[in-house]
Amino acid sequence: MNSLIIFVMLVVLLLTGMPISIALGMSVLTYLYFFSTIPVEIVSQRLFTGLDQFAIMAIPFFILAGAFLTSGGVAARIVNFATTLVGAMRGGLALSAILSCAFFAALSGSSPATVVAIGSIMIPAMVKQGYPKKFGVGVIATSGGLGILIPPSIVMIIYAVSTNTSVGQLFIAGIVPGVLMAFTLMLVTWLVAKKHNYPTLPQASLREIWQAFRDSIWGLLIVVIVIGGIYGGIFTPTEAAAVSAVYAFVVAVFIYGDLKLRDVPRVLLESANMSAMLLYIITNAILFSFLLTSENIPQQLAQWIVDQGLSPWMFLLFVNVLLFFAGDFMEPSSIILILAPIFLPVAMKLGIDPVHLGIVMTINMELGMITPPVGLNLYVASGLARMGLTEVTLAAAPWILVVTAILLLVTYVPQIALWLPHLMYGINP
Amino acid sequence: MFNRILDRLEEWIIASFMALATLVIFFAVVHRYSSGIPWVWQYTRHLSTSWTQELCIYLFIWMAKFGAAYGVRTGIHVGVDVLVRNLAPAKQKFFVVLGLASGAFFTATIALLGTKFVHFIYTTGQISPDLEMPMWIVYLAIPLGSSLMCYRFLQVLRHYLKSGELPVHSYGDTESEMGA
Repeated sequence: MNSLIIFVMLVVLLLTGMPISIALGMSVLTYLYFFSTIPVEIVSQRLFTGLDQFAIMAIPFFILAGAFLTSGGVAARIVNFATTLVGAMRGGLALSAILSCAFFAALSGSSPATVVAIGSIMIPAMVKQGYPKKFGVGVIATSGGLGILIPPSIVMIIYAVSTNTSVGQLFIAGIVPGVLMAFTLMLVTWLVAKKHNYPTLPQASLREIWQAFRDSIWGLLIVVIVIGGIYGGIFTPTEAAAVSAVYAFVVAVFIYGDLKLRDVPRVLLESANMSAMLLYIITNAILFSFLLTSENIPQQLAQWIVDQGLSPWMFLLFVNVLLFFAGDFMEPSSIILILAPIFLPVAMKLGIDPVHLGIVMTINMELGMITPPVGLNLYVASGLARMGLTEVTLAAAPWILVVTAILLLVTYVPQIALWLPHLMYGINP
Repeated sequence: MFNRILDRLEEWIIASFMALATLVIFFAVVHRYSSGIPWVWQYTRHLSTSWTQELCIYLFIWMAKFGAAYGVRTGIHVGVDVLVRNLAPAKQKFFVVLGLASGAFFTATIALLGTKFVHFIYTTGQISPDLEMPMWIVYLAIPLGSSLMCYRFLQVLRHYLKSGELPVHSYGDTESEMGA
């Protein structure tokens, strides 16, 4: 009964279009005031202690690192390198765009940032070379989604924080599905390009490849800092994020020199704005899930679902479908914050690995970003390409099938996600 | 005039806290690994860095509370507007006003509760574990940030009622192009 009141209230408030953070906060306040014996005073304390975790602080650091990379000419060098590698194949420029997105995703933890960084270079380039604009935009909007699947990933950090899972393990678990996704997207693109006879680029010589690699190496080294640093036990994920922010700053301002020192305050302010928005949703979501937990709701729901005799695969299918619809209306962080603490107890009871659930939810979020009406990637891509949102949506439609296929594969073959972290962390399943 | 100073102060606080937190953690990491280099370590080993995590968290909490207020001004706090967008303009206006008013109400409530809480902490004389800073100063972020956020909601509400315009945030540097 109580759980029904809370959820109905949240959904009604959300549908009025008020900011998600405010909707979360208002449902908690109303519930505490009218239906609960927990003192309302607890709210102000929780708003502070909810954020009092070092792991959460990786989010602003990764956002800052991403901002330096996006505005600092790193993307252009990565595009060059990717183009020398795969440009000579059929549909070379589109393949390079996907590969660039995959590389950039390994430096940045956000999908829209990846779309902006690579799309602003690659969409005009593809159109100029004679690709249908629709095709180019679809490719970029979809492969930009790799940003949250290939580590580092802000969405994974949020999942880790709201479920007490290891950020390091989640990051490692994202690698194989991420590479698989990138490879599949490239394969499909290549097949389409062959069918329509899309243009190719001249084969780059080994010398040119080496030159382009050397040019882009300063940016690509962030992969070593983040993955090597966390896995090697040199840093905690938060420290790795801070170090990569400082490193990205040095690369953008001093090594490549594409970012002027006087622009740094603007980058700081823009990243702070984005981070504060996320942190504000996080605090209010933590407040919300604190309320759920103190009313024992996730446990009751978990018991109820288990009592229905749901098998793991049915539960995962339910998760897939629910997230698909949620992803059509809300942005990823809020969905994860609200739903992950509810899904987790059920998953635990059904013997589903929390890391696997995290990866499944992340790919589900990727899908949400390219499906209307709230597809953040579509929105960003439509801005870059100066195309209407409806057109961009149609352009991305075939790709939804590809991402769905990968989603189902990773959902029902847990080893794809879990094999590498189990190997690296020496866990025997 | 008052608003101009407030705007700049807000921007200055969040941008510099962001930079400061980054440098603090970077410093802590460098410090930890300087132990491997004897000639550096003899100078740095006296420095204690156990306070850095705490400082970073506090800086970010302050940044988050004031940044959330700044976010109201830049229109970055989005909601689920799919249903509302398809309504007739008059009804749409009702929901926009409701959203902004709820924002102002929620933040005002938090500011009030936060003030009471800070006062309570003040009477306990609690200090933070590593920095040994009075906790009431740290917790001040809640009432101050929330009050500012409330003020921003009211500001946006007033502007909306007068002109019918809302601040709209868009991604990255493509801002100017997004409107087109």
